[in-house]
Amino acid sequence: MTLSEKISDFISQKKVIKGWYALVIIFFIMLVIVPTLFVLTYAFTGWDEIQETVMKAPPEIQYTDVDLNFHNVSIIHSPDIIDVTDPYSLEVRYNMERDTSLNYTVYLMDDEEREIEFQDEFIVNGTGTVWFNASANDTHNHFHHVGEGFQTLVVSNVTWTPEIWEEEVVLRSGSRLPWDMVKDALIVSFVIATIVTIIDFTAGLPMAWLMVRKDFRGKKYIDTLIDMPLAIPTAALGFSTAMFWAVTPGLNPYGSLSLTSSPFILVILLHIVFSYPYMVRSLSAILHEIDINYETAASTLGAPPLTVARTITLPLFRAGLVTGIILCFARSLSETGGTMAALAMMTPSLGELAYPMKTGPTLIGAWKHAGGFEPHLAFTAMILVIITLILLVIIKIVIMKFKMPLRKVFPGPERLLSKGVFPKLKDGLSFLFMFLVLLIPSFFIFSFVLTGDPSPVDWGGFWGAMRFSFLVAGVITVINLIFGVPLAIYIVRGTNKIMTNILDILVNVPLIVPTSALGISLGMFWGSMDLGMTTLLVISAHLAFTFPLVVRNVAGAMEELDPTYEETARTLGAKPMFVFRKIVFPSIKFSVLAGAIMAFTRSLGETGATLAVVKEANTVPVYIVGLVKSGDYYPAALACIALIFISFITMMAMRYMTKKAGDN
Amino acid sequence: MPEIRITNLKKAFGDLVAIDDLTIDVKDGEYLTILGPTGAGKTTLLRLIAGLAEQTSGSIFIDGECVDDLPPERRKVAFLSQTYSLFPHMNVWENTTFGPIARGWDPEQVEIIGREMLEMVHLYDRKDAYPGELSGGMQQRNALARALSADAKILLLDEPLRALDARLRLDLRYELKQLSKDMGMTTIHVTHDQEEALTISDRILVLRDGKVIQSGTPKEIFNKPAIPFIHHFVGEANFISGKLQEVDDEYSTIVDDDGHKYRTQKTDLKPGSRVVAGIKTEFTLMTKEKWESEEINNFTGSIERILFLGRFSDFEIKLGNGEIVHARLPGYQANKFDGGDKVNIPYSPQRMLVFPEPEGGIKKALEMV
Repeated sequence: MTLSEKISDFISQKKVIKGWYALVIIFFIMLVIVPTLFVLTYAFTGWDEIQETVMKAPPEIQYTDVDLNFHNVSIIHSPDIIDVTDPYSLEVRYNMERDTSLNYTVYLMDDEEREIEFQDEFIVNGTGTVWFNASANDTHNHFHHVGEGFQTLVVSNVTWTPEIWEEEVVLRSGSRLPWDMVKDALIVSFVIATIVTIIDFTAGLPMAWLMVRKDFRGKKYIDTLIDMPLAIPTAALGFSTAMFWAVTPGLNPYGSLSLTSSPFILVILLHIVFSYPYMVRSLSAILHEIDINYETAASTLGAPPLTVARTITLPLFRAGLVTGIILCFARSLSETGGTMAALAMMTPSLGELAYPMKTGPTLIGAWKHAGGFEPHLAFTAMILVIITLILLVIIKIVIMKFKMPLRKVFPGPERLLSKGVFPKLKDGLSFLFMFLVLLIPSFFIFSFVLTGDPSPVDWGGFWGAMRFSFLVAGVITVINLIFGVPLAIYIVRGTNKIMTNILDILVNVPLIVPTSALGISLGMFWGSMDLGMTTLLVISAHLAFTFPLVVRNVAGAMEELDPTYEETARTLGAKPMFVFRKIVFPSIKFSVLAGAIMAFTRSLGETGATLAVVKEANTVPVYIVGLVKSGDYYPAALACIALIFISFITMMAMRYMTKKAGDN
Repeated sequence: MPEIRITNLKKAFGDLVAIDDLTIDVKDGEYLTILGPTGAGKTTLLRLIAGLAEQTSGSIFIDGECVDDLPPERRKVAFLSQTYSLFPHMNVWENTTFGPIARGWDPEQVEIIGREMLEMVHLYDRKDAYPGELSGGMQQRNALARALSADAKILLLDEPLRALDARLRLDLRYELKQLSKDMGMTTIHVTHDQEEALTISDRILVLRDGKVIQSGTPKEIFNKPAIPFIHHFVGEANFISGKLQEVDDEYSTIVDDDGHKYRTQKTDLKPGSRVVAGIKTEFTLMTKEKWESEEINNFTGSIERILFLGRFSDFEIKLGNGEIVHARLPGYQANKFDGGDKVNIPYSPQRMLVFPEPEGGIKKALEMV
């Protein structure tokens, strides 16, 4: 008996198999589900803190501990929140015995450098108060470049003449509650996700129809083109899309349409780009399954094409619709990197917290980056998780139960709309939408690189980020395979149906929870254990949201595989491990591969989760967003193209492999 | 010797009892058919024997050895599903030698056994073909060769003919039995097709609700069904119910609730008890003329519907009291009748089998599930 046979024998023992499954389930629960949902515990453990910091305006903070022995005094203060869209004031109370010169310098702090933004000098005597006031408009006009660290307000160079001096600095933040900011950001997020999903459906349905039911020349190229935006990391998409559509101060690339200066519209346009392929894919997958004979039958009964589609095919289609809607909605709700890049493009002079519009994930990103907002972050993440989970259930119920008002038939108008120019118009518009909204904005970045002014690129930084991104993506792909494949097999083949059903539902959770909320939750979970290793944190966050991709793919393939093959092999004398190697794996290997590549590319392109777990992470999308924020557009574009190129090679490899599977 | 003994076997899925206290002996080399309606627990029984499911209680012995704790790969049984489960990504040779390789035999031995088995089923020249390229018959032979080269002595066949088209199904029945006999295997064949069971079995076991309700040769099952359900299930039957009036040396007399008298086979049941009597539809005759003895076993009705089946036709006759009687006539006789014809139906007393009236009435007793 060789060593490998001995190992195979050992693994094939019933106890070992049971133990292995138990281990896999524990891994899944402890490393994926619990960290993902851990933030929900904050409702119990941090309720007081939420009340104190998020629901109430921050109390006045008094500083009296000024060291009088120094002539240069720095009072470095991180207020709980400053939202520069609202007025705020700085109040200094003093108690002086004679004329005193108070010299204030207000700094806006970046991490490395300070930038003087406001200086003033007061001559004071006796007891009194001086105020420094700033309003939103003042701020925008006055502070030319806010940079990232607006939260750190530094009052320094307080100089005075007398020896005896007392002062208090009272810093008042804006009048808005943090809760209002959370609420606004979440409303924006959900409204955008809803609009995006509706547009995806409206534009995606005719396209899916075309791809499945019609034959035309060049169909396979269109088929590939639809998937293109999926190969591009969203950070690059956000950059490219913003350049194409929006008014971008400080950059006016050749060919840009500069149509909108509304961040709201731009973010919608961006989210459509990366969610539309999911909708078309989900809808066409189910359309493939629907027997064309139903449609033929309805046509022979005298129904015009539009009536057939509306009354026969659409109602049969709900499962695909649910998948498509959930995927689009969740992706839009979750996206961080692209949105950040797009917003930064539109308002280059502002810090993240000063952007006129924030989505849930970008608010999380900004707060996390600023530091000191732990209760706010936990609260926002918690709300996001709860609403997403509720929404998932509602979408499922509504679409499955809701009777579409499709029974009624309008023979006249529908016959008219089914004839002549209308179907051609519909098809034409589908293509136009795809090219104008999807492809051109996605690849506009290339035109910018060709026409823009070159500036030096820090390739060292880029490759460093690339190495880190590949490390993370590689590690999580390997771990996903080791634990995801057995879990998928257990979910499909397991005998304890209650257990498998629960696992089956739980697997979807990390897929729909916005990744930035997931990152916060995860950071809280591991942070409470105080491991303190950022690389590990990033890896575990990426593990959590990519794990379902592997499990779903493999579980799908396992469901297709007739269990009698495995059973027959067992009765023929094969041990479980042998059955897996010779029977199961050859049948599911392409799905395993597809899952692995999906996990790899998703990890490579992810921004939100990375930024939510660690303040400073050096992955490629984060690196690109950073370049965009600091206005280094040309290097950002080159980095984007390098990343697109690498992602694209991976994507093509996947297509090639899966195509081979289809040929066999 | 590959004999199987099953004692007090029970399998429950939650509240649902699939196999209920089953005790069976299968002799060495026997071709046993398990016949039963859908949901009777047939497949579950096979899976328990193969070790693919775990029983709730009871034991299974193969060759006198208790196999309850053995995994499927050590039970030396070959389980064949409806579609034979030939591995689609392996060719005939790889399929055939799967068992020996899985058991770690040395390559020379694998070569010898693979060749021997494939030659036995006349497939050696097709050894490079994939299952998709084989005809239904070849697939069946390949599956058998695979089972045999894996050292299996017991063949478990789960509706092995179901996936085939009608004509092939008839041909392969005999081939299947012949091969398993030639190779000296003990076979358990599960089916819900009574005709299939009657034609190929050494012995039939009728299973219903997880219990054996009759075991016997095909002739016994057909001619002496233990309960009305089997009488009806193995060839359709018409039933009457009533009270047993008297039993003499030749016949029994039954009076139904309307006062009709029937003469039937004799019975051991006590006069005065409630009984049912049934006659298979192919023994139910029809005449246009009046039958000789007018009061007994004789009804008039009109033909409601004729189902033309080629060699046979099935007739539905509506009696005066509204009840429907079925009759099956061979083609040459069926030609004489048309829809709407008034006919007489004489029940032959020798063909009327008597059973005690089942609880809940005859209709309920005939329900399939």
